[in-house]
Amino acid sequence: MKIVRDLMHPGLLTCRPDATLGQVSVLLTQHHVHALIVSDRDGRSIGIISDYDLLAGEWLSADSQSLTTMRHLTAGELMSSPIDTVEASISLGAAAQKLIEKDINRLVVTDQGAPVGVVSISDFVASIAGEEKPLRSTVADVMSDAILVCREKTPLISAARTMTQAGWRSVLVVDAKGTPEGVVSGKDLLPCVQDDVDEKLTVREIMHPVLTIDMHARLREAADLMIQKHYHRLVVVDKDDPQAFPLGIISSFDIVAEMARPGSTWQK
Amino acid sequence: MTSSSIGMGEQDRLEREKFEDELKRILNASDTAGIILRVIGSLAFQKHCQKYGYLQAAMGRAYTDIDFAAYHRQTKEIQAMMAGLGYQENREVFIVSEGDRAIFERPEAGLHIDVFFEKLDFCHAIYWKGRLEVDHPSIPLAEMLLEKMQIVQINEKDIIDTIMLLLEHPLGDEDHETINIKRIAELCSLDWGLWRTTTMNLDKVRQLAQGYKQLSSEEKVTIASQVTIALNRIEHEPKPLAWRLRARVGDRVKWYKDVDDVQ
Repeated sequence: MKIVRDLMHPGLLTCRPDATLGQVSVLLTQHHVHALIVSDRDGRSIGIISDYDLLAGEWLSADSQSLTTMRHLTAGELMSSPIDTVEASISLGAAAQKLIEKDINRLVVTDQGAPVGVVSISDFVASIAGEEKPLRSTVADVMSDAILVCREKTPLISAARTMTQAGWRSVLVVDAKGTPEGVVSGKDLLPCVQDDVDEKLTVREIMHPVLTIDMHARLREAADLMIQKHYHRLVVVDKDDPQAFPLGIISSFDIVAEMARPGSTWQK
Repeated sequence: MTSSSIGMGEQDRLEREKFEDELKRILNASDTAGIILRVIGSLAFQKHCQKYGYLQAAMGRAYTDIDFAAYHRQTKEIQAMMAGLGYQENREVFIVSEGDRAIFERPEAGLHIDVFFEKLDFCHAIYWKGRLEVDHPSIPLAEMLLEKMQIVQINEKDIIDTIMLLLEHPLGDEDHETINIKRIAELCSLDWGLWRTTTMNLDKVRQLAQGYKQLSSEEKVTIASQVTIALNRIEHEPKPLAWRLRARVGDRVKWYKDVDDVQ
């Protein structure tokens, strides 16, 4: 039986509690990760901050006063605390169940209480696919104009494999004309970690509804929609032709990448 | 609806009856015409608090206007009905609010009618959709409480109305003669800003009620108990991720809208 230690990424990527959201966004994009552990001067892990948390920067900056406040907000103020942990020796099924129950994307792995690594939903998807998770050396994860697609009849294992190989966190399900039917994300696949995957299962059985946004919508609107609906990605469509093949996908990571861009409001 | 002095002061019986009689006349007309028009504001509290309604006059809570909730789809019928009752509409308010609010006046009688379509949208938005059919002639008791609790700069008149409501009606999970605290808790769990203002104001009501000499010791205990029950229910409602993320930012970013007062 595989245990968490077999899947986890050893080591922790950290930031200081006084790092601004702009600084955190740079660290996330530099390391191509979706979360950092916030640690104090003594190296103790005190919280976790993710790309999704950073959406709050765009979400709440409705006016210049709010923007100023959010630009000065620190990782220590926005982080989730306490950190959700899992012991390295427990089974993958039990760890997946914890992710489902807590509705979170990652767990800090501990060895007799001491943090030793991180395990995320993407790691579990890789385990379903039966493949090693590649290093995120490409920009595929943050590209917004390329879309990973499949049809409703695509086997679930095949979708997991494709997501893992491409290093993507979701796959868009379309019909014969390219109209979006649903999305399969790592979260949809998590319940399969606990059971033997039925090879006949298709993405139709597990996909969730698509949430769309117009290509001309402001970034703040995208952040607002993601946070209110608890989605990590939106399908970008042309509102004049919503049934057409989508123009792209915008993820929480794309917004963080924009925050990290030199010259953006968050880097001034 | 927001100025601190408006709604407080001596008001003789005749003046109070003028508003109460006019409310009956408008409600009769709307019922006859099949219009869903529900009273909000001070007169709603008077209508729904048969036992404790006397506190308004006793505490110097005066009527200044008559406020209603309605649906957009009946805008034209309401405008026609009010014209038939002798009112002139302030069209500017209707246009500026993009049809969300209408003001009707009979200056010679000193009567001012406010109609809020689909929602009450001051510091926080309280939506009517599917709720105006629940009670008659007022909006449901849960929305009456929220109508007051959504005001960041809450006034004495709002405190008095809330005290009456909490003394008169129990808290529960339904609407019939009950303050549906389940609905209030659900709405507060969807919007951190509404939660922040509502819980802040409930606590203010609990504290300020203790200072009214018009209230007995038992009544003060009842109010404190009702507020505690309400706060506990709101606190224990599960909060989604958006709420929890907004809570981490807290008061650092303004959580309410400023109110442009239209009188």
